[in-house]
Amino acid sequence: MSGMLDGKVAVVTGAGRGIGRGVALGLAAAGAKVVVNDFGVDLNGQAPTSGPAFDVVNEIKQAGGDAAVNSDSVSTWDGGANIINTAVKEFGRIDILVTCAGILRDRMVFNMSEDDFDSVLAVHLKGTFNCLRHAAPLMREQKFGRIITFTSGSGLFGNPGQANYGSAKAAISGLTKVAARDLGRYGVTVNGIAPVAATRMTMTDEFLKAREIRKQQGIVREERALAQLEDLKPEDVAPMVVFLASDHAAGVNGQFFLCAGGSISLVSLPRAVNTIYKPEGRWTLDELDDLVPLTLANGLANPAPPRQA
Amino acid sequence: MGNRLKDKVAVVTGAGRGIGRGIALLLAEEGAAVVINDLGANIDGSGQTASVADEVVNEIKAKGGRAVANGDSVSNFKAAENIINTAVKEFGRIDILVNNAGILRDRMVFNLSEEDWDSVIAVHLKGAFNCARHASVQMRQQKFGRIISMSSTSGLYGNTGQANYGAAKDGIAGLTRVISRDLGKYGITVNAIAPAAQTRMTASVPDKAREIRQQRGVALPGTLSGSVAPLRAEADDVAPFAVYLATDAAKDINGQTFMVRGGVVSLLNYPAPARTITKRGRWTAEEIVQLFPSTLGMDLVNPAPPKVE
Repeated sequence: MSGMLDGKVAVVTGAGRGIGRGVALGLAAAGAKVVVNDFGVDLNGQAPTSGPAFDVVNEIKQAGGDAAVNSDSVSTWDGGANIINTAVKEFGRIDILVTCAGILRDRMVFNMSEDDFDSVLAVHLKGTFNCLRHAAPLMREQKFGRIITFTSGSGLFGNPGQANYGSAKAAISGLTKVAARDLGRYGVTVNGIAPVAATRMTMTDEFLKAREIRKQQGIVREERALAQLEDLKPEDVAPMVVFLASDHAAGVNGQFFLCAGGSISLVSLPRAVNTIYKPEGRWTLDELDDLVPLTLANGLANPAPPRQA
Repeated sequence: MGNRLKDKVAVVTGAGRGIGRGIALLLAEEGAAVVINDLGANIDGSGQTASVADEVVNEIKAKGGRAVANGDSVSNFKAAENIINTAVKEFGRIDILVNNAGILRDRMVFNLSEEDWDSVIAVHLKGAFNCARHASVQMRQQKFGRIISMSSTSGLYGNTGQANYGAAKDGIAGLTRVISRDLGKYGITVNAIAPAAQTRMTASVPDKAREIRQQRGVALPGTLSGSVAPLRAEADDVAPFAVYLATDAAKDINGQTFMVRGGVVSLLNYPAPARTITKRGRWTAEEIVQLFPSTLGMDLVNPAPPKVE
């Protein structure tokens, strides 16, 4: 036991498997008491069974830690309230909130159903808000809190086929930035992690099939990059979460970190990289026609150029 | 009166007032037939008066342009389909979609109600998805399309008191990045604009919030006297660049976000790793504690540091 989080109480959503499980175990090993929340659903959000959450609680207790199970869905307002209340009821307070719960329903945007969009947003985005919103008043009152949200490279960089997931994850980054500013003055920090790891969410049948096709086609560069994914363990994300939850990270607020195995990066916040300015005000289309190709659009690459007919 | 968009058909949501109105008028001036969508709601989403859309239609027709009004709500999947169908029914196709409709309900995150959250996400983020989803089917078939969505510096940088709006607007930036990759190969471009202008929406931001933002250096120019030089930034200033993105000249600009404020137009960078620490295998939290201040955490500023008691 390192004791970095002795006396602290944490809630981890989606903690039954994958990255959330790793985070729950990591926080417990550092001395925190942990509410292990998991709705226990399939990857697409179906058929709840809270079994995996109980397994993680047992694992923590066997290692000498303290943990409690909660199997509410983060996607409802009352579910979010119950999850936070479980921490208060079982352990007397809530210091750390880590929002890992998520589902996946990939489709190209022109084929995506309303239900595919709504359900992914409900779990990721509304789920993060529901838990954050109910933890925030308690953290504000006690003048201490650590909120660690999970965003994704999909939202930050753009993955095809993930209009729902990418929107939700980018929106979580917006929520993180605003909440950091709303809560920072009360001793609460809010940061985001964009993880890359081999979990049941990333190592899907489709992914493995696509990799096999690429392998047969001899796309070597892709193959090399994908081969690395299996080496990126979900447990690798936990140490950075433990750090952000600790007193050592008191001044780290409103930031994003990319965590992939033994590699941790600070992600840049948006900034203007190229600017045109007309002191008199409004541009005309004639002016933009002349100027934009030489300035703003100079060197821009289309990430998905049109197919040649 | 130009002819850059002769024979093109556009839909502009929230086109009854402010930035949307300016874009609709300029699209029409360049020859596009425009569906003026506006529910005619108050700034918080309540109430409805369809007349604002009719006024813009009349203004376009008086100048010899083509336009039709639509009063459906973008936040409803079926109604959004009707908005896109209005373009097809009235003018035979849909080439350009401008996602501009939005509402505002500012509260600090610890006071934000579920309804304040849901309604802002529904109009901005779900509304942008709904319209893009239905338009993308048509655009893909005709192998041409332009989707331009309004994001915001609130989401990109984080504005105090706008957890709902900031999440929705950063979500739109994520949606833009993903669907630019889903649709690019079909000759469709998808870009976002983060506009800053004096409209009835920005006028609704409380003076207190402006003060706090100015203290943190995030005040919108032109909205406060004092340390920030007042810059003229009118709603109509956004239109030329938005319309430029709809023209053939911008066919290779895809998946980007631009900031437009008065005569200033900036290209924003993609989020990217700014600093990285790497080791073979998993870090420990203790190692991160040691390394962080001199590596990833170097020069990081807390955007809302705790109050000193």
